[in-house]
Amino acid sequence: MSMPLRVLVTKVGFDGHDRGSRLVSAYLRDAGHEVIYTAPWQEIEAVVRLAVDEDVDIIGISTLATDHLIVPDLMEALAAAGKGDVAVVVGGIVPEQERPALITAGVRAIFGPGSSRDEIIHTIERIGDDVRDARDRVLVGEA
Amino acid sequence: MSLDEREQRVDVDPRRVWESEYARDLPEGDVIRNRSGFEIKPLYSEQDWTGSRDAADGYPGQYPFTRGIYPTMYRGKRWSQRQLVGLGTPADYNGRVLQMIDSGANAISLLPCNSVFRGLDCDQAPLPLLGTCGTVINTVDHMDRALDGVSLDRISTAMNDPTPFTLLAFLLGTAKRRGIPASAITGTSNQSDYISHYVANHMFYRLSQTGARRIFTDHVAYCREILPKWNPVSIVGQHMQQAGATPAETMAFTLSSAIQYARDCEAAGLDLDDVLPRFTFFFDISISFFEEIAKFRAGRRIWARIARDQLGAKDPRSWRFKFHGQTSGVDLTVQQPLNNIARVTTQAVAGIFSGLQSMHTDAYDEAITCPTEETARIAVATQNILREEAHLTDVIDPLAGSYYVESLTDEMEAEILRIMALIEDAGGMYEAVGAGLVQHMIGKSALAAQDLIESGAEKIVGVNCYETDESEAAAPEPYRADPEAMQQHVDSFRKFKAERSSDAVRRALDALNRAADSTSDNIFVEVVNSAEQGVTHGEIVEALRDRLGFGHPLIVA
Amino acid sequence: MEPNLAAQAASRVKLLAKGNRADLARVLTILSYGDDRTDALAGQLALSAAPGRVISITGPPGAGKSTLVSAMLTALRKRGLPVAVLAIDPSSPLTGGGILGDRIRMERHTDDLGVFVRSLGARNHGDGIADNLPAMIDAMAIAGWPLVLVETVGVGQSETGVFKLADISILVSVPGLGDDVQTMKAGVLELADIHVVNKSDLPGADIVARQLKGMLRLRGASGAQPPVLTTDATTGQGVDELLDAIEGIGFGERTGGRRARIEAQIESRVHRAVKNELADALRQCSKSISQAADGAIHIQTVAQAVTIRIAEGLKSSKYAGDLDVESNPLDT
Repeated sequence: MSMPLRVLVTKVGFDGHDRGSRLVSAYLRDAGHEVIYTAPWQEIEAVVRLAVDEDVDIIGISTLATDHLIVPDLMEALAAAGKGDVAVVVGGIVPEQERPALITAGVRAIFGPGSSRDEIIHTIERIGDDVRDARDRVLVGEA
Repeated sequence: MSLDEREQRVDVDPRRVWESEYARDLPEGDVIRNRSGFEIKPLYSEQDWTGSRDAADGYPGQYPFTRGIYPTMYRGKRWSQRQLVGLGTPADYNGRVLQMIDSGANAISLLPCNSVFRGLDCDQAPLPLLGTCGTVINTVDHMDRALDGVSLDRISTAMNDPTPFTLLAFLLGTAKRRGIPASAITGTSNQSDYISHYVANHMFYRLSQTGARRIFTDHVAYCREILPKWNPVSIVGQHMQQAGATPAETMAFTLSSAIQYARDCEAAGLDLDDVLPRFTFFFDISISFFEEIAKFRAGRRIWARIARDQLGAKDPRSWRFKFHGQTSGVDLTVQQPLNNIARVTTQAVAGIFSGLQSMHTDAYDEAITCPTEETARIAVATQNILREEAHLTDVIDPLAGSYYVESLTDEMEAEILRIMALIEDAGGMYEAVGAGLVQHMIGKSALAAQDLIESGAEKIVGVNCYETDESEAAAPEPYRADPEAMQQHVDSFRKFKAERSSDAVRRALDALNRAADSTSDNIFVEVVNSAEQGVTHGEIVEALRDRLGFGHPLIVA
Repeated sequence: MEPNLAAQAASRVKLLAKGNRADLARVLTILSYGDDRTDALAGQLALSAAPGRVISITGPPGAGKSTLVSAMLTALRKRGLPVAVLAIDPSSPLTGGGILGDRIRMERHTDDLGVFVRSLGARNHGDGIADNLPAMIDAMAIAGWPLVLVETVGVGQSETGVFKLADISILVSVPGLGDDVQTMKAGVLELADIHVVNKSDLPGADIVARQLKGMLRLRGASGAQPPVLTTDATTGQGVDELLDAIEGIGFGERTGGRRARIEAQIESRVHRAVKNELADALRQCSKSISQAADGAIHIQTVAQAVTIRIAEGLKSSKYAGDLDVESNPLDT
């Protein structure tokens, strides 16, 4: 039996529209996964802290009003905190011209408007499996 | 009865003939439902609406205003073409707004940067996020610059300004500088509906529910006394419909909020006939064409009855349901973006047939970015074409008497009243939102709507049907504020803070804190004074947040 | 037990003591798997002597538990204590997934390094307690979080499990959720050490508090009745009094919670060990089952055969060193 993925669904920056994040959270729940759901407007540092304490596999950032512009900052902060193993996906409005910057920063997937439930769930599950596999290979030793 | 006679008898009832022919040709017709969940018949006729409803509908300008709130409607006065604009620095905004006025807009609506909604000044926010979706306005100076060349006594200015209404305070400071009396200023506090910010669209929360409630009535009382032509109350159904509420739910929640605000004003000692004539409403107009028209016609008469019979307002002006409609951005698609012009046009026609008082039409690139000059111009032109070329305004309430529209209006009215009763049972809108009831209902509707799109039952051109390969298509260029200009704006703001009189600022903030700590002083008076003394937006919000509590979102996951 | 698993588990437990949040978080994840890694880790943790202190907060949905926990965190932090929270939300019975929303109400503590919050789905446990909760509490204690608040959704008497695991259990009621106080079955009310009527600003809060006191008097044995307090978690009103009441009861002389946690942990591991062997045993006994279907042998006989197989399986399994199979009467 595969374990449910743990996905942090949150919003950074200033926008507060949550229709998309609530929908995707419901999709993930119905696919058997666990969503850690937060209020919008999270600071980058708060997202990192949540990712650490909740030991999530994936962070899903919902963005509508240009908040994706600070996602590269999030990627840097995650790496600095030693949580580079957490996959970050973005959903919402990301103009075509600004996608490469996110992908270069390490964002694993961007779900634009019109993404189907199946596409979102399958992609997240595939990424989640990668994250889990990589994690399970990590052994802790007597340092 | 002979066989001939019998055949004749069947033949002479045309409706039955139609029914049997319809059933013969379409034996397994699909059930069609609108967004509010009503089953839509293939045909409406006298059985669905008797046509003897003059008394219930009233004539235009007559209670209960189903056919419009003014006797002359658009023959007397065209709706306000109020384009929502917000971008970049105050200078950027100014350039855009002067252009809008040139191209026919007779009213403006200022959308501040999201950092302003969040309660922050520009020196507290990440630079890349500044000015991308609204204008960065933190002081009277900024407002003065943004409205340079705009006659404040001639152009109606709506401020998208949640509690504690700092933008209005900056506007008043600007007017004072220019020697324009407050009594001449017209416009609307577009985001005074703090309850809606707790229900949906959690962009605006910055004061606790109780704190926002208090400043709301303080601000209404202030406007009543000082700004007789200002509409302090705009009740925003738009947030809820955009978050997923059905049209019927949206109208019900909005009217329940209006009742809540009326009661709160009354509890604060205000006379309802002084304040209700200045209540306005703000809605999304979706592409569900007839449903939207029925929503507005039903809402208009429900409000008239509530205001007169339930709230006991005596002045007919208190019964009028004045509303601004904004074509719904939710219906717009990123795919094949030029298609959005057709969508906006359809929505705008629905709005005009609904008898709105003020309208914003979305630009076709709004699903992707803050509109460019060209796309914003097309949006205004759409309104002009519908009015000037299509002659949509020649006849008042032109769909009245349509069996379908009238029957749908009745059905909509019943459903709205049913939902309003649920809210009333929960203790009114303030309590229902505090308990998460409304958020829960909206979440359910949003999921149901999305399921219909997922299953293909609800079609969206370019998204789940008629898709094209757009990989080669040029995506619209997203608007981004010029980082250098924005950095200069932030620098000059810092300079302003360093050079202003710190004594004046401290005195103003002391007075603001005292008002917040008292239970009877009008807080908004001190917000206006603080703005005049050079206190910034972020400082005003911070002071009040310390005193009245931070507005944690009331989210139902 | 595979040596690799055991060694890994031991290393992880050792790492825990360094107090790195990410290490603790990962251990909690592994403890939620319910597989061999979980057993190995739980076994290691059971060897540790980490007497964590546990306060459980249980009540019906909508009672404001998350808000109360958040208010308790604020008050506890003022007293200078580091506090950890295990917030357990129900999982969907259909899919096992869940939306864990407790973070929303605890947002103000996110940037406080003296607070560690972990959201857990109850997963498939019927009694609303996440698998291996006792081991999680041990892990937190080792990692420097000796005080753990466990928030569980409580929907009546099936929720008493968490009471056993806690040193101090708080039952939250709230006015306006119907007459749940009256209908609460005997056994639930008495198990709580402290009763809290939250949302004291609502009309009816006093009535609920009075009713509770009356019922406790009626049902309680001789001796002191548990305190009934009122709070308004949104404003923090009454929360200091709640902490005083917790201190009044104290953790010192009570050993029930720790002992119960160890027992519950053992019970859960025994359960899983037996269940794993049961599937094998049934396969091995398919012939007997077929005979029983023909009416040739009695079902009791099949059951005995299966039981013997289970015992044999356990003896040779990785649990052999872990469980004292030799002393099992079935083995004779």
